[in-house]
Formats: sequence, C-alpha cells, structure tokens
Amino acid sequence: MSFGSVGVLALCIYLVGLVVVAEFARRARVDTTPADHFLAGRGLGTFVLFLTLYATAYSGNSLLGYPGEAYRRGFSWIMATGFMMSIIVMFHVLAPKLRPLAVRHGFVTPGDWIRHRFGNEKAGKPLLIAISVLMAIALGNFLVAQLVAMGHVTSEVTGGQVPFPVGVIGLAAMILMYETLGGMRAVAWTDSAQGLLMAGGLLALLIWLVGEAGGLAAVSQAIGDVRPDAIRVPDAKEQANWASTIVLLGTASVVYPQAIQRIFAAKSGASLKRAFSLMTFMPLTTTLVVTLIGLAAIPRLAGLGEIQADTVMPRLLASWAELGPTQMLLAVLVFLGALAAIMSTADSVLLSLGSVIAVDLMGGDRDRPETTQLAKRVTAVAMVVAVGVALMPRLTLWSLIELKMELLIQAVPAFLIALHWRRLSALAALLGVAAGTLVAVGASLFIARRIGGIHVGVIGLAVNTAVVLVVTALRR
Amino acid sequence: MASRVRIGLLVAIGVLYVLSIPWYREAGALPAGGAAGGWLGLPDWVGVALACYVAIAVLNSLAWALTEVSDPNGDDEDDGS
Repeated sequence: MSFGSVGVLALCIYLVGLVVVAEFARRARVDTTPADHFLAGRGLGTFVLFLTLYATAYSGNSLLGYPGEAYRRGFSWIMATGFMMSIIVMFHVLAPKLRPLAVRHGFVTPGDWIRHRFGNEKAGKPLLIAISVLMAIALGNFLVAQLVAMGHVTSEVTGGQVPFPVGVIGLAAMILMYETLGGMRAVAWTDSAQGLLMAGGLLALLIWLVGEAGGLAAVSQAIGDVRPDAIRVPDAKEQANWASTIVLLGTASVVYPQAIQRIFAAKSGASLKRAFSLMTFMPLTTTLVVTLIGLAAIPRLAGLGEIQADTVMPRLLASWAELGPTQMLLAVLVFLGALAAIMSTADSVLLSLGSVIAVDLMGGDRDRPETTQLAKRVTAVAMVVAVGVALMPRLTLWSLIELKMELLIQAVPAFLIALHWRRLSALAALLGVAAGTLVAVGASLFIARRIGGIHVGVIGLAVNTAVVLVVTALRR
Repeated sequence: MASRVRIGLLVAIGVLYVLSIPWYREAGALPAGGAAGGWLGLPDWVGVALACYVAIAVLNSLAWALTEVSDPNGDDEDDGS
C-alpha cells in the first residue's frame, strides 16, 4: 500500500472521528444561547483549556510556516521560540484583570469589553466598530492561512490523490459542519485530541531527523557547510526584526479574539492560570521542534524557492515514509497531527469570526438564541469567501501572519491600556487606532513591511500609543 | 510578598529577552568554536538564546503560579472604567 493511499485512509478515519465528536458535543449542549455555543457554557477545566489553547495557538502557521521560515532564514529563527513564549508573558497584563469582569458581566465577545468600558461615551460605538473590523479582518486573514496550509498538507501527504483545491474545499466543509453542530464544545474537545496528536507526532519526526543526521551537532555542521549564512550572527537589521517580532507577536496575540474568548470560557480563574503555567513550556516542545525540523531540512532539501519552502514539512514526511512500514505509519500520524492542528486553529478562528460579526458588528443580542443562528449563517458565508481566497495563494504563510498581526496590534491600547488606566477615553482610543492603522497600512502599501527590520505594525502601535497619551493629556 | 516576587520574575523575564538577542556579538560573524560549538551542538549565539528561553519558561510558569486570577465574589473590581 502506498503512502498516499495510507494517507487517504487515515484521513477518512480521522474525519469520521470528527463527526462523532461533533455529535457528542451537540448532545452535550445545555441550550442554544451564544454563551453556550461560543464559550461551551463557560465550563472549560484546566486540562481541556490548556489543550485547546495549545492546539489553537499552534497552527498551520507553526507547522508549515515556521519550518519554512527556519529553512529560509537559518538559525536566527530561534527567535520564534522566544516570541511564542512572549504571548504567555503578555497575558499577565490582560487575563488577571479581564477575567473577573468577563464572568461578572457575562462577556461573550471581545467587543463586550469595549461596550462595558466605553459604552457610555459618544465615541464608544465607533471604537467598537473600528476594533471589531480590525479583528474580523485579522481573523479572516488567519482563516485563509489555515485553509492554504490544509491544502498543502493534504495534497503532499496523499501523494496528490487529494489535490490542493479538493483538500481546501473538503476540509473547510468538514470544519463548518462540526462547528455548526457542536460550537465551542466540539472545537475544544477535538482540540484536546488534536493537541496530543500534534505534540507526539512532531517529537517523533524530530527524533528521526536528528538521529539520522548523527545528532544536533552534526545537523549544525551540515547546515554550516551547505549554507554558511544560516549559522552566522544575524546583522543589525535581523536583530531589530527579532526584537520587533517578539513585541509584535507577544502584544498582538493577546488580543486574538479566540484567545480572549478562552479567557471567558474557563471554568475558573484557577483553571486559567494553571493552563497558562503549562502553556509557557509549549514553545520548547513545539516551536523549537518545528524550527529544528526546518533547519534540518536545509542540507536535505537544497534549493527550494520562497513559496516552496512552506512545503518543507510534508516533503520530509514523504521521504520519511519511504524508509519502511513503521516509518510510513509514523509519518501518517505526524500528518494527521499537523492536519489536526491546522483544523483546530481554523475552527477556533471561524467560531470567533462568527461571534464578532454577528454580535459586535451586526448588533446581535448576546443572550438570545437567534444570535447563535445568525452567527452560524455568518460563518458559512465567511468560510465560502475564505476558501475562494485560499485557492489563489500568492503570499508565504509567514507573510500572512505578519499582515494580520500588524492590524490586530492596533487594538492593543483599547484592551491593555484601558484595563489599567481609568482616564483613557473612547475618543483617545479611537484616534489612536485610526492613526496606528493608517501608519501600518500606509507604510505596508507604499513603503515597506519593515523599516530597519522593525515591523510597520509595531511602528503603528507606537504612533497609536502616542496619540492616546497626547489626546488624553489635551482633554484634562 | 507574592506580588513583589511576581513583579521581580517579570522584570527578570524582560532582561532575559534582551539577552536572548545576540547584539553582544559582531554582526555577520561566524559562531565561536564553529557551527556546533555552543550548547547542545548549536552555534554559540543560538545556544545562549535557547538558554534564555528555557529560563523564561521556568520563570514565567512561577510567575503564573503566583498570579491571582480571581472569580467575582460580589465586590466591584477595579476595571479601569
């Protein structure tokens, strides 16, 4: 039996499993309110919460984009381990203050915080719309990145038996089905199994790669021989980019709507902090592992182009599978783990996108079951649009991540500063968002995505924060 | 006391992030001791960065253990509004 055929069979078994989980989740629902659909009735305990945070944070971007970027940049991509960890560090600024408020006031979407904090101000409504639009664009972008990754993985590992467009369309339909049936419960439960599968699969792949090369030192030596630039100390621009990426990812990721909604969905504050305590180690078991996998591919797969580098992982899996039946089985498990991780992120993003559009932008009542129905219709439309965009991939996966972060980071002052500073007004926050977004988008379109290695989103955030401070000072 | 320790841990994490970036080395230089001359057989500057990130994970986990994430008990919280 060929690797492609085993891949197709495993894919079918996996998809049937998802349907079963979705049905269990549907039966477990308490009611049809948005809180039950989007937050699983606020009942996620430490273990499920940790695994759903893990599976959501580590996505197609991590599993395909990061090895691809390590392949392109060399050892300086060790920065990825640092910036993924910075997300859990930055949650110290958000979670301890936001969580009690969310429980007390029954928040369902990130916009509920904006309504609570700025709702009695004239500029409160425009601010809500501005933040929600930024979030919807970022989520849409993130969804497209996951769909592209799903298509790549499915096509590569089934040996082309499931072509890229069929993989994208078929798996998108599957996600839409189980999310519509089971909401956050289906998402969190599938995430739990998917997270375990992903971590185990990646570790097995790394052990094979490093073992076959004769250890980490031999891998480093081989990289140095093939691509000396990959082991050199990064230049000043790359170092600035390193620092900028830590700020960009660490800061923007804490205002991911799907991450904020998991803060709301935790069973208790204690569950949440235990989940974060565990999450802080996951960059070492995941980001570092995929980085080393991408680096180990440099001497093995020489000469891949910019876009092709995103297929490093599936190419390695395919060559691993050629070594024998055991390796083939393990490679299929890694493939399923990767696919699971991608789908778990896509479903979380889609669920959040539906809630942000239905509740925050279209004004659906967060306590009425009709809003759940509206959100389900919205997610269906959003998925169709995202599939259309995903079928024409023009950017690398890493480019897609950076693009969404540069927009999302402009929402940071309305959350992180507003939580800690009573004097921040809706008008100041709104003007800050407008200025920061203009700088980030304008520079991105007409100058460059990075200036001196610094992301234009980070420069936009600096402008955004400065405007917030100046407007607040002028209104004293 | 726990709050002070937590703040101290977060400051230490900030310092480790600064140390993780190889600004202390000449840009474009080859690794000292060769490609595999650092910790775990990695280039030296990569080994330093990785050691910083391992330390950050440990300190951050401790910081979360010391963080109070309370659930509402009927009192109004300071919500910045």
